[in-house]
Amino acid sequence: MLKIENLHARVEGREILKGLSLTVNAGEVHAIMGPNGAGKSTLGNVLSGREGYEVTAGSVTYNGIDLLALEPEARAAAGVFLAFQYPVEIPGVNNTYFLRAAFNAQRKARGEKELDSMHFLKLVREKLKVMQISDELLHRAVNEGFSGGEKKRNEIFQMAVLEPQLAILDETDSGLDIDALKQVAQGVNALRSPERAFLMITHYQRLLDYVVPDFVHVLADGRIVESGDKSLALKLEEHGYVGIGEGAPA
Amino acid sequence: MSQSAPLPLVESLLDAPLPGSGIAWLDTARLENREAFASAGLPDTRVEAWKYTALRALGQRSFANGDDQAQTRVVDAASLILPGVDGPRLVFVNGVFRADLSMLDSLPAGLTLQPLSQALHGDTEPLRFALSRHYRETGDAFARINAANAHDGVVLRVAANAKITAPVQLVFVGAAAEAALAWHARNVIELAEGAELTLIEQHVASGEQAHLATLVSDIELHQGARLHHTLLQNAAIGASLVRRSSLRLHARARATLHVLELGGALVRHDLQAELLGDGAQLDTRGVFMPHGRQHIDTQLAIRHQALNTTSSSNWRGVANDRARGVFRGAIVVAPGADGSDASLSNKNLLLSPSAEIDTKPELEIYADEVKAAHGATVGQLDERSLFYLRSRGIPQAEARALLTTAFCRAVLDDLPDETLREHLSTLLIAHLPM
Amino acid sequence: MNDTMTRESSTATALRDNAEVAEALGRGYAAGFVTDIEMTSLPPGLSEDTIRQLSAIKQEPEWMTEWRLDAYRHWLTMPTPDWAKLKIDPIDYQAISYYAAPKAGLKSLDEVDPALLATYEKLGVPLHERARLAGVAVDAVFDSVSVGTTFRKELAAAGVLFCSMSEAIREYPELVQKYLGSVVPTGDNFFAALNSAVFSDGSFVFIPKGVRCPMELSTYFRINAQNTGQFERTLIVAEEGSHVSYLEGCTAPKRDENQLHAAVVELVALERAQIKYSTVQNWYPGDENGVGGIYNFVTKRGDCRGDDSKISWTQVETGSAVTWKYPSVVLRGDRSVGEFYSVALTHHHQQADTGTKMIHLGKYTKSKIVSKGISAGLSSNTYRGLVKMEKGAEGARNYTQCDSLLIGKKCGAHTFPYMEVKNPTAIVEHEATTSKISDDQMFYCRSRGISTEDAVSMIVDGFCKQVFRELPMEFAVEAKKLLEVSLEGAVG
Repeated sequence: MLKIENLHARVEGREILKGLSLTVNAGEVHAIMGPNGAGKSTLGNVLSGREGYEVTAGSVTYNGIDLLALEPEARAAAGVFLAFQYPVEIPGVNNTYFLRAAFNAQRKARGEKELDSMHFLKLVREKLKVMQISDELLHRAVNEGFSGGEKKRNEIFQMAVLEPQLAILDETDSGLDIDALKQVAQGVNALRSPERAFLMITHYQRLLDYVVPDFVHVLADGRIVESGDKSLALKLEEHGYVGIGEGAPA
Repeated sequence: MSQSAPLPLVESLLDAPLPGSGIAWLDTARLENREAFASAGLPDTRVEAWKYTALRALGQRSFANGDDQAQTRVVDAASLILPGVDGPRLVFVNGVFRADLSMLDSLPAGLTLQPLSQALHGDTEPLRFALSRHYRETGDAFARINAANAHDGVVLRVAANAKITAPVQLVFVGAAAEAALAWHARNVIELAEGAELTLIEQHVASGEQAHLATLVSDIELHQGARLHHTLLQNAAIGASLVRRSSLRLHARARATLHVLELGGALVRHDLQAELLGDGAQLDTRGVFMPHGRQHIDTQLAIRHQALNTTSSSNWRGVANDRARGVFRGAIVVAPGADGSDASLSNKNLLLSPSAEIDTKPELEIYADEVKAAHGATVGQLDERSLFYLRSRGIPQAEARALLTTAFCRAVLDDLPDETLREHLSTLLIAHLPM
Repeated sequence: MNDTMTRESSTATALRDNAEVAEALGRGYAAGFVTDIEMTSLPPGLSEDTIRQLSAIKQEPEWMTEWRLDAYRHWLTMPTPDWAKLKIDPIDYQAISYYAAPKAGLKSLDEVDPALLATYEKLGVPLHERARLAGVAVDAVFDSVSVGTTFRKELAAAGVLFCSMSEAIREYPELVQKYLGSVVPTGDNFFAALNSAVFSDGSFVFIPKGVRCPMELSTYFRINAQNTGQFERTLIVAEEGSHVSYLEGCTAPKRDENQLHAAVVELVALERAQIKYSTVQNWYPGDENGVGGIYNFVTKRGDCRGDDSKISWTQVETGSAVTWKYPSVVLRGDRSVGEFYSVALTHHHQQADTGTKMIHLGKYTKSKIVSKGISAGLSSNTYRGLVKMEKGAEGARNYTQCDSLLIGKKCGAHTFPYMEVKNPTAIVEHEATTSKISDDQMFYCRSRGISTEDAVSMIVDGFCKQVFRELPMEFAVEAKKLLEVSLEGAVG
């Protein structure tokens, strides 16, 4: 589904990703771990098309197309979803309104029929129930005045409604207490399916206790330096990032 | 600021004969204001209040005075109707009262509503204070010519403690005519002690035209009176519209204003409020959204003159294309107005390289125990928000429109009438550049 | 604060009485003494002849005399400014003497009249070798002339030129001709024109390419003579990649007449140059009834002429009966930076109308304005500012913060910011607040045993922190003390 090859990217003139390669197949859950400054968030931002991230070499192929050539909205329509580390507050834009605009814009881009507000609301209410989120959230402006946990849950809720094929979770666990973390994890698990892939970017392995990954990769200095299964995360927990990836191919 | 040769505009406006009323004090006031206008002419940009609005081009134009065919102009009745609003209505076409378009039957108890042209045939003493005013500032040119030439407008009174639930609609229609016209309207609105009123002032266009209209409204709120006032300006794109709304609030009176400035070529609104009685409260909210070559100038001036008076003002501007938005928000807390609380915010979006925003929030504080704050910004749509929307699949143009609407709507959120609020939103969206 | 602790016994109620407090404190304007020294001066009056005479006394070249006369002729055509928020009596320009100097000819600091040296010593600015302020070179200007400049040799070794303007006109005419009037043209405004015609002295600073000035430079201005005006002219040029920090201080004796001070300061920063200009303005403010004091009408402007240059103004304004000044920056070079940090304190009948203009012309230019106004007594304190984003100011930014603190019921605090934005990628932000010292704050301090007056100075000091931080250390201490003294008797 996603094939990243030798990806190099710069931010403000500084090279952050230095030849990252990764393949993700449908149905798989990959965890990307690494110390601060390794390039974890840059990877998420490059994949979703944020401005200011310059790809200097390498390629990203998504379902056979060049993902990097697409505008952010086109990536979304193609099924790529980024759960932001710091979701922005947008005062004055109603959450439901926003979500329906996004939902229908994506359907329209895919040549599907748009959903009227009644049917959309029904769909949203179903998802709310699954995500265990109160519908009071629907009446508020996007992320405005939300607590850290509410913002993250709102991201997962959006993901549930938009049903992407590839979900990138950027430090979704950061700043969450254990209850909020469990709720977020529950939301993610509910969305796991053979058609959908996840890329979870995280600093701690804590989240991986609740969302068990198929693969764990260690990102250090802009490259994947080690890959393994869940046990790699546990090893990291025990020993930290020091010494990881030494002797790995450059 | 006297001119050596009178400007065509000044000359053409002075061409109108003074409307004779037979009321000695009124005729004197008209004559004196006319003379003041004739001798001082138009202010130039050296006059602080007109710093950002040059009248050079307007000064070179001539207008025919009044419309003798106003009674027979065809106006689409649908354009007068606001969704959910079904109360008394007073309609003026090119400044002339139109009984056929108005709804004045079965007025609720406590409400007096009639055109000025009729009110002048009755007891005029209650109008004397407002209509015998002299305008003394150099910047008052349009108020002067209005005082001299206006012979119609609205006279509205709400009796003590009367609560008028149905909104009263005042509609000013600029209708296409054979030539560019100048017309003037003078409104006198008074809420007696404890009275309550919801008022909607509309400016609408019937066909393309380039008239010059002046409006002067005096609004007085006696003790404990409450007014919800919505001003919806959607004049013809070629029209010049110069308005002055003066509010006087006595003790514990409370006025809430929502203003939407969308239409017109050259638009100026002087919105002045005096908080004269202890505990008076004023809230103003407004959006101005010039595009094309529009020039929209709002001059808000609030004077706190009594103890514990409160004002809050929240205004948003969006300028596009080659348009210019001007905002001045001046708050004065006079000596003795202790315990006053004043806040003002003006945020603006500049969306095009040829558009301009000039904003000037002012604070003048002479009292103690005062809380006053103002803020102003000029900038663009937030890049992070834009990216967030796009990353969820909303195309760029749509995302921009969405954020722009949200930016403006924020100040309309406390409009109590939901239908009206939605209608204003719809107008905003229709007005957005796409 | 130490010697005033005696008033600790006075109750808060007593402190509410202004007169009592003032009396109890017995402090006041410390720089209000007069130096008794023999002076040469021109008789009062202004004409082309006066200007020729002045120019002759100063042995100026012909071009300078003509430059002055041009400015004078221009000035004659200009209307007196319309005093926006200021109440002032008309000024009789014929009643002012345009030149006053100590009689003894000045050659070097060693020959300076001991009375003069004593004056500066008393003002805390010793000029003689032994007691010079470490690390600060001083140019001392007494009425119309420079008394002397310290550390000249040391500066010359670094290539830095620091001398009086009169000397610069004689010694470095090509530099003066190139830059004088290039930031503030002679006809810029009424007082700039007057200054251009009659300026007597001031400081000249030139920092050559790549030089980081090895010490702080400062000028200390003193008005002493009666019925004179002071019209100094300062020019600072920082060449490519150079750095300089400059300070000025000002005082005058207590006199019942108003005296006019109309200075012009021009700063030029070329590519990557940085100029930091700090002012502690303590001209005589007049007495508590508003009698006397200096009219301080100053034009200060910096030109960020080169890319990546930076000009920063910091001012602490406590003196003068009337102040009218707007230190400004023209941000011409791409990515250039302009800053304005100001504390203006007015008391009794003082009037201050001050602020800044930031004119953004270049791409990615940045400006920051922090203004703190404190009004007490019957005074009036106005911030007036302009932020202008011209069409070419791609990606430019401004942030303005303007706070006013009111002490008492009869003063005024006003804020008039103008924002003109013509570039859709520019961002301008302005915030202003007006408040008083809250009863809660006062109560909290007092319940911890702090007197009312000390609590006020503490709170005012906190209010001004953001600006004091920008001052060189010795001056920050000085400024803080000045505020305390200026606020005496303010709590009512």
